[in-house]
Amino acid sequence: MTDEAGDRIPLLRAAGLTVRMGDIEVLRDIDFSLRRGDILGIIGESGAGKSMIGRVIADQLPDGFSVTSGMLRFGALDLIGMPPKDHRRLLGREIAFIPQEPMMALNPSMTIGSHFEEHLAHLGHTPSTMRRKTIEALSDVRIAAPEHVYDQYPFQLSGGMCQRVLIALAFISNPDLVIADEPTASLDVTSQGHIIGLLRRMQQKHGTAVLFITHQLALAGQICTEVAVLYAGEVVERGATKAVFTAPQHPYTIALKAAAPLLDGEWTPLASLRGHMPGLKEYRTLDGCRFAPRCATASDACRQATVPLRQKSDHLARCLYDDAEARVEFPEGAARASLGQSKGELLRLDSVSKTFFRSGWFSRKPGVNALRNVSLEIAAGEFVGIVGESGSGKSTLGRLAMGLEDATNGTILLDGKPLGRSEDEWERRIAAIQLVFQDPRAALNPRRRVVDLATQAIQPRMMRADARRARAETLLRSTGLPTDMLDKVSAEMSGGQRQRVSIARALCNAPRLLIADEVTSGLDVSVQAQILNLLLNIRKEYGIALMMISHDLAVVRYLCSRVVVMWKGEIVETGLTEEVFRNPQHRYTRELISAIPPDDMNQPWLPLLEFAKAS
Amino acid sequence: MSSRGQARILIGGGILAFIVCVAVLAPWLAPHNPNDQDLLQMLAPPAWSPDGDWSHPLGTDNLGRDVLSRLIYGARVAAIVGTIVPIGTCLLGSSIAIVAGYYGGYVDKTLSRIVDIWMSFPAVVLSLVLMVGLSPGLRSVILATVLVDWTRFCRITRGAILGLMKLEYISAARITGASHVSIMLRDLVPGVLPLIITLLCVEIGVAVVVESILSFVGVSVEPHIPTWGVMIADGLASVFQAPWCLVFPMLAVILTVMAANMMGDGLRIRFDARIVDRTRAPA
Repeated sequence: MTDEAGDRIPLLRAAGLTVRMGDIEVLRDIDFSLRRGDILGIIGESGAGKSMIGRVIADQLPDGFSVTSGMLRFGALDLIGMPPKDHRRLLGREIAFIPQEPMMALNPSMTIGSHFEEHLAHLGHTPSTMRRKTIEALSDVRIAAPEHVYDQYPFQLSGGMCQRVLIALAFISNPDLVIADEPTASLDVTSQGHIIGLLRRMQQKHGTAVLFITHQLALAGQICTEVAVLYAGEVVERGATKAVFTAPQHPYTIALKAAAPLLDGEWTPLASLRGHMPGLKEYRTLDGCRFAPRCATASDACRQATVPLRQKSDHLARCLYDDAEARVEFPEGAARASLGQSKGELLRLDSVSKTFFRSGWFSRKPGVNALRNVSLEIAAGEFVGIVGESGSGKSTLGRLAMGLEDATNGTILLDGKPLGRSEDEWERRIAAIQLVFQDPRAALNPRRRVVDLATQAIQPRMMRADARRARAETLLRSTGLPTDMLDKVSAEMSGGQRQRVSIARALCNAPRLLIADEVTSGLDVSVQAQILNLLLNIRKEYGIALMMISHDLAVVRYLCSRVVVMWKGEIVETGLTEEVFRNPQHRYTRELISAIPPDDMNQPWLPLLEFAKAS
Repeated sequence: MSSRGQARILIGGGILAFIVCVAVLAPWLAPHNPNDQDLLQMLAPPAWSPDGDWSHPLGTDNLGRDVLSRLIYGARVAAIVGTIVPIGTCLLGSSIAIVAGYYGGYVDKTLSRIVDIWMSFPAVVLSLVLMVGLSPGLRSVILATVLVDWTRFCRITRGAILGLMKLEYISAARITGASHVSIMLRDLVPGVLPLIITLLCVEIGVAVVVESILSFVGVSVEPHIPTWGVMIADGLASVFQAPWCLVFPMLAVILTVMAANMMGDGLRIRFDARIVDRTRAPA
């Protein structure tokens, strides 16, 4: 892109930047520019190489990786050619970083104050002014009691607080450039709003340029002036945020948009991308457009030679076709199952409470009240969403219903009959209810093959091997996996495939209720859409009920007719999904909904407005 | 990746295999009967020294017994102890660890306390007491060593089991209706197997050393069976006139322990390398 204003020369500019590991081009021909005071969003799913860009700027490429061609300029300085010593001198002064995991980035054995002292000493401040400067910086990031926080240790603070501290640390040297690598990925949605609002305010106050690395389109849409969409180590599309988001030209960007479930508006089926992001080794086989194997538009020309970034209507996209949007085929989406609830109560929780005890040598002391007086019914065939932030008790609820934890008080009834701890009742329970775990990597025994994993539930029956294999094949087909995966182990699969195997295993004995505990939170948007549509198909095929535990309201809205909002171990609101989301009654539900960046980038996002008002 | 730890496994395993072969083939390899006394040639030096003689390649001890033959026959006790003791400690220690780690709660607390108390006795003292109580003999040596050393296995394996229990695939197995025994055998044991194999190798060295200590103080096998420990004890009496009587059995013990540890190290590196997941690209 050409610069509209001549006086605004780019602060950070990459041209043809290529990073190799051996013969693999990890980053290929990366172009972008970031002007002073702007925010450039680097958008991509995991494995796209977006963090690698931050690593090039930080001169922290992993062993075996090196920049082989192209240039990267910071102002007038050449970041690639300059001596490492000079490069390092820039870091922490002119270029600052806000990391992904705030808790991990702070030293647990140092107070917040000493983190600042160390950094300020490095910047050449005298000890006498350090405390004052630190307190100033901490109040700048809206920490209410900076004097108190000064003497605290990182583990005494919440994740959001730690991220504030890190933002204060990043801005204290008044840098020209801040690299924020998924700064809110590990935070709850309400703290995400605060952190992004804060980042934006600090950026405007200092006139800093920010390189904002994220996988969330809606978030980038709210704060970025320009965006670059990354796929498999290539910039596939870049330009002004508005131009890219309102009229995306690359099939990947189009698909990414179509794969994200919406929080309001008409219910539309999600278009899921087939396959998954290629791993580094697969790059070798992708000579042309790296997106071609997943693209519905791709032709032979796409596969043969690399495609350059081409000028489309008002921005750049790496696609040979000018009418990509028209040519993208939306796969047949799953139909939303009828909202009508079937009669017949399947599972009922009757004022269930759960207290975790801290056990000592001879005594048990009550610790956390994870659940307080929770009552909930699920009808046969009903899809119910349980939403809430971390610590709301939603996962505990799922584990209680499954029987992996015992309730401290209250009863759980299946088909009207209470569930106890006897062997028979356990059999009755696991025949009717199954749980799909959050992290499929941890939920699948790494040493077992898919055929054994999928049919784990019939293992006690000593079935013949070929009958078992046949059952596994049926299950794989139901969950959309190729049957040649039967003999693979967990390590040979992608995240989405693992989650499918995990779902297949839960379906093995045709349960009537599936509890899905954050099953898509570890997955990329395009893969998430595959799993969500799979769950809808399973409903059609098996007539199953679903208890969808999720922090993502849009996911729950996509699947569930009824929603339960949990907060601090209690149900604060429940009702039909559409009604609750359109007209939330409880203060917490309203807060939760307004904290989510709106899908339409033209709509205002509350946390940003609040910060704008305050400053 | 296949070369990681390969050299250590080959060298360590090769030495151990060599020792076992020597032990098995002792009657054919040894030039003399290990207990034959040649009173005319007491404390004869090794063959390569000025007064040496190839009829006793490594010299003779203070009763004129051939050092090489005794070394070769001594490998028999070492091989038997070094095979059976690790298996015994492994079975006893790991089973208790798996039960403790799997059931947790009071089962775990009780078993862990027993292990703690057991470990508070000094190992050497405990084995000496046990040997005094039991009659001398190979079986007693093995029993005493197993009873002293199983706690090491138990502690370390239990730690690993507790780590595995946090993984959701254990819960997942439970809700598919797997029995407790099935979960322990199919999900827990394979998970700790690399650790157990590594520990087994270390235990080979420990067992050989413990047996040597016991025979050094004379409470091991029957007196007519040559062992490296007994040779060291005998050699000590004539250490200034004939150091070879002491040096060769000591070298044999050191070599065995080193080989065992080397193989253990190699296997650990090998298994670590397998655990690393290389299918996904770094972000």
